[in-house]
Amino acid sequence: MLELAAIALVKVVILSFGLLTAAAYLVLLERRVAAWVQDRRGPNRVGIPLTSIRLFGLGQPLADGLKFIFKEEFTPSHVDRWMYTLAPISILATALAVFAVIPFGDVLTLGGERTIELVVAPGFDAGAIYVFALSSLAVYGVILGGWASNNKYSLLGGLRSSAQLIAYELPLSLGLLGVVVVTGTLRLDEVIRTQANEGIWFAFAQPLGLIVFVIASFAEAARLPFDLPEAEQELVGGYHTEYSGIRLLMYLVAEFMHMITASFLIVILFLGGWHFWGLTDAAAWGIEGEAVPLWLGVVRIVVLMAKVFVVILFFMLTRWTWPRFRFDQLMNLAWKVMLPLGIANVVMMAVVAEFEVPLTDRLGRGGVIGLTWVGTLLTLIVAALLVPLHSDNRRRSIEPDLFGTS
Amino acid sequence: MAAIWLPIFLFVAFGALLAGGMLVAGFLIGPHRRNPVKEMPYESGMDPFHDARRRFSVRFHVVAVAFLVFDVELLFLYPWAVASRQAVGIDAAVQQGFVGGRGLVFGGVMLFVALVVLGFVYDWRKGVFRWR
Repeated sequence: MLELAAIALVKVVILSFGLLTAAAYLVLLERRVAAWVQDRRGPNRVGIPLTSIRLFGLGQPLADGLKFIFKEEFTPSHVDRWMYTLAPISILATALAVFAVIPFGDVLTLGGERTIELVVAPGFDAGAIYVFALSSLAVYGVILGGWASNNKYSLLGGLRSSAQLIAYELPLSLGLLGVVVVTGTLRLDEVIRTQANEGIWFAFAQPLGLIVFVIASFAEAARLPFDLPEAEQELVGGYHTEYSGIRLLMYLVAEFMHMITASFLIVILFLGGWHFWGLTDAAAWGIEGEAVPLWLGVVRIVVLMAKVFVVILFFMLTRWTWPRFRFDQLMNLAWKVMLPLGIANVVMMAVVAEFEVPLTDRLGRGGVIGLTWVGTLLTLIVAALLVPLHSDNRRRSIEPDLFGTS
Repeated sequence: MAAIWLPIFLFVAFGALLAGGMLVAGFLIGPHRRNPVKEMPYESGMDPFHDARRRFSVRFHVVAVAFLVFDVELLFLYPWAVASRQAVGIDAAVQQGFVGGRGLVFGGVMLFVALVVLGFVYDWRKGVFRWR
């Protein structure tokens, strides 16, 4: 018991500080990507202090962190003091604790009998549910902060973001459900193992689920085109308008964590986790038996990290490519498009998983054209025909909605 | 059981401690200079004319209720999704005679999904999802 606690604590400490550092450097990366997209230089000055070595601005995150700590820790007098303090703590703690069940690779075999589980809580059956439970708790951080600030901008931002977060929670969990239906497990490492053993990524087996899940994760992470919680031009800072110093830092870090979590989930559920054809298969390297040598375990970690990095880059590039949705468009998309699409996906995958449907197997892959691809295309076409374009802002005398009274 | 939950409790506790520690560090290190302008709510430089504890649109409440209903209903599907693919799940129940057959369970779940969709259509017709 004590040994277990010690191992878990070491993992927790390494992971927490690793994630905080990763978030800090991803901020730098995001600013450099932004600069690259907008054809300017970006932060490239801060390197090693007291020298003229710049190192492409790698000192910037450290300088930013220090600056945040040395800022005044200020609580305005008009706020609800307890909730105002509690909100950033709750959002940061939950954003960190989500990573307790996220696997960072396959089981790592050291020399002899020793193995390392690359997940903080190994063998936790309800991993996916836990992730969703904690990421829903993020809503509390948002609404508490917005309400406690006693500021109109904060209140509006908090209301908006909580409505957005709960609305996109449903498509998110429907996207997950599609995967659970075919794998029959809530353990994230088992989901990866299914994909690795079968050699199919669920992105190819259930494209509709991928679409729904990716869009919903963008909204859950409050990234553009869904960054209404802190639409700077309308709400100043949204729910963290009244926050400054280290508490603002906590909010910003937590927001970045949500993006990292979302990337991990997309990779684990739909992009095969640590699996890559030929590169991570033990059989392809001529290795017999269950035990995987250390170097192959490291290769798997690298593959997983590379995929996560690519998805994070996708998040960043999307941010600088897309305009923001209007709030009614956002809610329409969630309730009238994403939710039906998600249900369609779940029903489709349930039928595929339950019956021997011709042209496809129980994981949803088929011949050249899997049945799920046909289903996806059909569903998307139907949705496109029934729901008016989100870019179409014309006023209508007749309601354009599917069911007449909208 | 405790072995499975322990790391998770540790992680949550450590996260909260870390966040609390950051707050304390900021409190100890940073300067403390209060002034009346800083105390005011930030409203883009205007003097605030009353506080933010005001009524807000009932839409948010309706959406919250709709979310609650659908989220709980979706949560009911997870046990079935897991049980339908595991050795100790529905197959074992069918073998031991608790359920008539797999098809019956599947039919029941599809009926449940149909009811959810029915509720969804009702909400849509009632205009729950309409934002102006």
